[in-house]
Amino acid sequence: MHYVIIGNGVAGINAAGSVRMRDSESKITIISSESDHFFSRTALMYVFCGQMSAEDVEPYERDLYARTNYDRVRGRVASVDSGANKLTLTSGEVVSFDSLLIASGSVPFMVDYPGIDLDGVGNFVTWQNLEWLTEQAKTARKAIIVGGGLIGIESLEILHLAGIKTTMVVREDSFWPIAFSKPEGDMITEHVRNHGAEMMLATETDEIVGENGSVTGLKTKDGQTLEADLIIFAIGVIPQTEFLKDSGIELSERGGIIVDEKLATNVPDIWAAGDCTAVVWFNGVRRPEQLWYTGRDQGKVAGFNMLATESERKDYKRKTFYNSAKFFDIEYTTAGYVNFNFDGERDWYQCDSIKETSQRITYMPDGAVIGFNMLGSRWDHRPLVKWVEEKRDIKWVLEHLHEACFDEEFSPKFKVTEPAPALT
Amino acid sequence: MQTGLLNTYQKSVSNRSYIAWVMSGALLTFYVLIYFTDFFTPIAAQLHLGGKWGMYGTLYTIFIVGFGIVFLRRHGQTPYQRLRTLSIMFFQVVFAFALPHVMEMFDTPGYNFAYFWPLNYSAFYPSTIASQPLPFILYSMIGAFILVPVLTFFYGKRWYCSWVCGCGGLAETAGDSFRHLSSKTTKAWRFERYSIHIVLLFAVVTTVIVVTSFIFESRTGDEFSVVYPIFSKIAGPVKGFYGFLVGAILSGVLGVGLYPLMGSRVWCRFFCPLAAFMGLIQKFGRFRITVKDEMCISCGNCSTYCEMGIDVRQYAQNNQDFKRAACVGCGICAHVCPRGVLKLENKWDFASWGDAAGVEHVDV
Ligand SMILES: Cc1cc2nc3c(=O)[nH]c(=O)nc-3n(C[C@H](O)[C@H](O)[C@H](O)COP(=O)(O)OP(=O)(O)OC[C@H]3O[C@@H](n4cnc5c(N)ncnc54)[C@H](O)[C@@H]3O)c2cc1C
Ligand code: SF4
Ligand code: SF4
Repeated sequence: MHYVIIGNGVAGINAAGSVRMRDSESKITIISSESDHFFSRTALMYVFCGQMSAEDVEPYERDLYARTNYDRVRGRVASVDSGANKLTLTSGEVVSFDSLLIASGSVPFMVDYPGIDLDGVGNFVTWQNLEWLTEQAKTARKAIIVGGGLIGIESLEILHLAGIKTTMVVREDSFWPIAFSKPEGDMITEHVRNHGAEMMLATETDEIVGENGSVTGLKTKDGQTLEADLIIFAIGVIPQTEFLKDSGIELSERGGIIVDEKLATNVPDIWAAGDCTAVVWFNGVRRPEQLWYTGRDQGKVAGFNMLATESERKDYKRKTFYNSAKFFDIEYTTAGYVNFNFDGERDWYQCDSIKETSQRITYMPDGAVIGFNMLGSRWDHRPLVKWVEEKRDIKWVLEHLHEACFDEEFSPKFKVTEPAPALT
Repeated sequence: MQTGLLNTYQKSVSNRSYIAWVMSGALLTFYVLIYFTDFFTPIAAQLHLGGKWGMYGTLYTIFIVGFGIVFLRRHGQTPYQRLRTLSIMFFQVVFAFALPHVMEMFDTPGYNFAYFWPLNYSAFYPSTIASQPLPFILYSMIGAFILVPVLTFFYGKRWYCSWVCGCGGLAETAGDSFRHLSSKTTKAWRFERYSIHIVLLFAVVTTVIVVTSFIFESRTGDEFSVVYPIFSKIAGPVKGFYGFLVGAILSGVLGVGLYPLMGSRVWCRFFCPLAAFMGLIQKFGRFRITVKDEMCISCGNCSTYCEMGIDVRQYAQNNQDFKRAACVGCGICAHVCPRGVLKLENKWDFASWGDAAGVEHVDV
């Protein structure tokens, strides 16, 4: 058997491991256009800041490929011929496979603004982006980040720390409204501003302006021109599946590879995992899960299924949602479903504006808790997820909330200060 | 972002640049001179610091306090880091430095209550015992055989290594800029497991030989000294060799001299016999690092900044709570983790007794 994996990211490498664990003989080939070694995309910002070296962000020692006997191909896949079980690289090289996994991740979503091709406009998603940004940062004096999501705020932080005057331009009128209500959004905006970085809310990009092929600024819809010699677009990512257009592999409207619960595509012997897939979410919507841990899980399941017989194959089970992030110094943990706008949902909320901490718990009219949004201190998502799954009552949860605290030892005890809601 | 760690790899002091090599060379030279020559004796006398060791102790204390303040500014955002750093400064200033001086003023031999056998390898040498009052000797014994194991069982070796110890004190403060230089390779880990236990064995054997030979000598003429004259013959050389190799070369010259090249815990990780002893107890004790399942983003901050070269990320991304003998409980891995995945805890957990945490170096 020859297993071919497109993608040396978290989904690809975990799939390879899953295959190798039960099959020490077969040939496994990993193709990547980006890097020789698997690295942690989530750690790009730390490399930019000199907090870690390139090798530090590689989760395995470099002998991994030799030790586990993975072949590596550095190159870009141009097309997949699913009928003939063959793929072609941009170099013209043809690779044939018995079983193929596509784990090609994401590309930045871009809007065709005038001036988008100017020098000094880019993204922060790939290793090449990191190298580009490192070069740009040497001369840049003023930067703009377009987009108010996670990659956007990481970009804002690192450019600000590099001593560049950086402004984040956000279309919505509070930070990251898909995750946060206004008070939390405002707390983060405030925090960012206290650090000396700027966040402009309710500001929409109209066009990018430049001189002699290089960017000089950004025009907003309300007519302002913001000066900048560096602009990062961070308005989301979409599946990297351009090269599959004529492959016969079924894609969703936004390019996600349509997979069933076994992570199989519509073509036999072709599988997909990670950011590039569109899976069905708990609410029935089909869309990508663009997260590190879901990429790892999908990779493991897909790798298992590639090798398994039809009856052994496992379902990829989506867990109750949870995630974590960090906004400058404010840590964030979420579990369950906050801001999903269920009918009748209500919130319990408390905050401490001096310590910059807040807790929001969403519950249904019968008191059953459905989600947590915690900022500024550490929380163990495991009990939180469990309480959501057990549909615990809000009163009970508030009494037990301190048990889920995950702050370092000697930290002040967590206290519930807001009263529990009276249920009608 | 940990602003204290910004540009670690761009700073010439901390990125093994030629400046780091020069620093290392200077430190090595300093330690060779102070251990093996009298070069510093006249300087110390001029400065009214007593002998060369008086001068060394003063310098050492100044470094711990000075860089302790730097550390607090860098990592003092959380109570754990604040408390343990204040503690280590306190034990250096009061127990290692001031108290012995005060005792000497009252004509009592200077004694450091925070310095235990076998790190203090001469604690039970007959010459030491002869020069000390009985309560101190009793304390040495209670300290090494009761206090250390009991505290380690309940709180992990961190109570000593990153809250009390002077070697750890220097590593945590003056050595902080070098913590990421510790090797995380499997090779280094294999070496460590041999080297540190060999030194522990060597320490025990040396003490046993020296003490036995003394007992035999004091019973001159009886059958033991006739049957085992070898003890008296080798006691001197063994003691001397231990002092030279472990006491001077490994703990001083290399232990500190290699800070800028191999990180701050070369001695603690590869050679310290007390660390080895406590490490064995730690595996059966309550202290462990808890990992939140499936929250790790494999960024590697924890492994990078673990001064003991533990590849923490390997456990974190495999969802495994762990107990590693080497862990000194500095808490930096938890401190720098951007996703709050790790927590240092003392917790009863009978299921994992003696379990080195399932994984060692796992691969996918
Ligand atoms: C800056 C940043 C921060 C992030 N932070 C977080 C976070 O904190 N938490 C979190 O959960 N997620 C985070 N993410 C998202 C997370 O990194 C992704 O979900 C995850 O990396 C997806 O893994 P993957 O294996 O699917 O794809 P990727 O890691 O994107 O890997 C794709 C691989 O496919 C290869 N490839 C693609 N197309 C081709 C082709 N045509 N030919 C050859 N090779 C190809 C690439 O070279 C690459 O090796 C972050 C992402 C970014 C960019
Ligand atoms: S594992 Fe963590 S607490 Fe233990 S020595 Fe390493 S960094 Fe310190
Ligand atoms: S445990 Fe934390 S610091 Fe370590 S790799 Fe995981 S996310 Fe990064």
